[in-house]
Amino acid sequence: MQQLQNPSSSESTPILKIQAWLVEQIADVLSIDPTTIDVKQPLTRYGLDSIDAVTLVGDLEDWLDLELPSTLLWDYPSIEKASAYMVEEFDVTVD
Amino acid sequence: MTLTQYQLAEKLEQALGNPQQADSLMSFQHTAELDEAEQFPHEEIAWLYNWGLQNYYIPTDCGGKFTSFEEFVAFVRVLARRDLNISIAFTTLFWSFLTWMAGSDEQKEKLSHLMREEHTAMCLAYSEREHGSDLVGGGVTATKVEGGYLLNGEKWPINRATISGVTFVLARTDPEGGNRGLSLFMVEKKDLDTSTYYNLPKIKTHGIRAADMSGIGFSDCFVPDSMLLGQEGHGLELGLKGFQITRALCAAFSQGAADTTMRTTLNFAVNRKLYNKTVIDMPHARRTLSNAFIDMLICDCVNIGAARGFHVATDQFSVWSAVDKYFVPVTLEQVMKDTSVVLGSRFYMRDEHDSGVFQKALRDSAIISMFDGSSVVNLHVLILQRRQLAKARVRIRKKPEKLAVVQDRLEQSFSLSQPVPTFDPTRLELISRGADDVMQGIEGTIAKLEALKKSGDSAVDLLRPDPAKPAQDVLSQVLELAHVIREELDAQDVLITESAFEHGHDQSFESFELAKQYCQLHAAMACILMWIHNRELAEMGDFFAKGEWLVVSLHRLLSHFRMTPLLSSGELPAAYHENVAQELLRLHKADKMFSIVPFQLAQSQLAPPPSTQSSSAQSHPNQPSTQEATSHATAPEPQLI
Repeated sequence: MQQLQNPSSSESTPILKIQAWLVEQIADVLSIDPTTIDVKQPLTRYGLDSIDAVTLVGDLEDWLDLELPSTLLWDYPSIEKASAYMVEEFDVTVD
Repeated sequence: MTLTQYQLAEKLEQALGNPQQADSLMSFQHTAELDEAEQFPHEEIAWLYNWGLQNYYIPTDCGGKFTSFEEFVAFVRVLARRDLNISIAFTTLFWSFLTWMAGSDEQKEKLSHLMREEHTAMCLAYSEREHGSDLVGGGVTATKVEGGYLLNGEKWPINRATISGVTFVLARTDPEGGNRGLSLFMVEKKDLDTSTYYNLPKIKTHGIRAADMSGIGFSDCFVPDSMLLGQEGHGLELGLKGFQITRALCAAFSQGAADTTMRTTLNFAVNRKLYNKTVIDMPHARRTLSNAFIDMLICDCVNIGAARGFHVATDQFSVWSAVDKYFVPVTLEQVMKDTSVVLGSRFYMRDEHDSGVFQKALRDSAIISMFDGSSVVNLHVLILQRRQLAKARVRIRKKPEKLAVVQDRLEQSFSLSQPVPTFDPTRLELISRGADDVMQGIEGTIAKLEALKKSGDSAVDLLRPDPAKPAQDVLSQVLELAHVIREELDAQDVLITESAFEHGHDQSFESFELAKQYCQLHAAMACILMWIHNRELAEMGDFFAKGEWLVVSLHRLLSHFRMTPLLSSGELPAAYHENVAQELLRLHKADKMFSIVPFQLAQSQLAPPPSTQSSSAQSHPNQPSTQEATSHATAPEPQLI
């Protein structure tokens, strides 16, 4: 798959939208303040366990209407890495 | 004629003999003695290897004879109805599926050889004393060194930790690796330096007292690279997928145990006279047992459907196996408790009435709902997927082409006359992405029932032996109850979709209750699917075809949901209950499995030979006589420590 856009090109890039979505979801899942989440940190550091991570991929699939590897957040365990992977590997479009 | 996939179970039955006869290999008396002595059943397990049963755990492309999980669960029931010590100890062989799933060709060949030729047994070393079912939190480490890894730490409690040749060990290979920091090893103990590992003492347990329930510890234990199974870091994924396989198979242990508690209770109830009446003729006892039998048939539909579905809807097994592993053992535990009321105080005795087999089966089976993920773990797996299941069901209803594919898959999963495709473990997925054919097929199944009803003089009527019980009535009732399933599922889906979703381990008590209800609705659908796809199959018999059992089953399952009458006609016809009781007594008298597929069990040597309809009377071609087998069985397993 082709990379759709340069992640740093603007605020509305798919990669940033995915990051924002993940921050919001993870803050909700773990009941923590979204501003305390660093996209570069491993998600396990915030207490996201293995099954939560898999469940969250299911939510991502729903949101993006796309089939993703269920272990995506195990293999790319930070928000930054996961978002970059999705944009690089999949034809992601985010409204 | 018995369905092909049940013939192996019949052959094993005949080879083992009637367990009520004290001189049979795994008689209730003998297995009770082993249990009382807390003595591992070495001889009986050696007999099973000599008989060649291990071959049916090895796929044909790996040199074995395994082709179908439906066949597998049938023979596990044959073992389990005799003794859970033996069946659980032998069936740890199903962990070999980890190797069939993820091993290299060389590893597969090696394990196949070990099982077939050297009669090696195995155990699964995941749990740890301090971490329970929290696999990621485990403390056993595997540190990379030149040419291999050094294992350190203890696994406990592990079934067959001591008496096994191969140990599947889950260990952390990367301290910072999170969910990808665990790896799985297929450790052949004979290749280890014996000074670097040790076994923990046998744990005294409430049931399966003859089991080797112990543990294993490692101290800088070197394991070569060749023992790593799959990729480094993929241990958790493999482990969780492996559980999907074994969870569904565990239900067969409970089914075997429930068959025995029912059989021994009937041995009492048909002979015992009180107040000038036989116990079985007393209304309360009769209905208690016929209801218990219905619950057993419901479990059959769930577990046989799942066993076949493995081959068809493999990627949905995070849902199917969780339903099966929760629903079947828990339902059958209740069946045993209900049945015990009829047996009375004898259910509690250790050396009376069929060698005290009731209390033993009750004790032994109590662990099944805990094995390989407890009931709570399985419900949790469902809760986490429940919202997606609800959403996916809404989506798929708008896509007729996808619904048609669901119907095709359901036919393959539930139609017992159809061969199943080869099981492909690489199709297992950690989540089902909202798919559950059984529930997504509800509208299509209702449409089929309606079409059957409309056809009026359909094949159903031709099968009807008794004009007083018009099959159209049965169809109408099944349809009414199928609509109740749909209404309840719709209501639950809306509730789930609209309510706040909790992740992780903060699930409410109510969420667990909803997950239990999902299992009951799934079970109800499995019953309808089993009937609709097999009612014309001659091998299933008239009782199955008439479908009264189905109406009673659905009524029992759905009565948990509503206080108001489920049927417009009011109560269930009394004749339905009576016909269920008659079938139960018929199977008991004929020594047949209490099942929707009532295959022939070993009969007493004094009893008349099995009917000519059964192919079961022939002994296994490679089967030595019982006398020979017993003498072979004196040799201990070569791999045992």
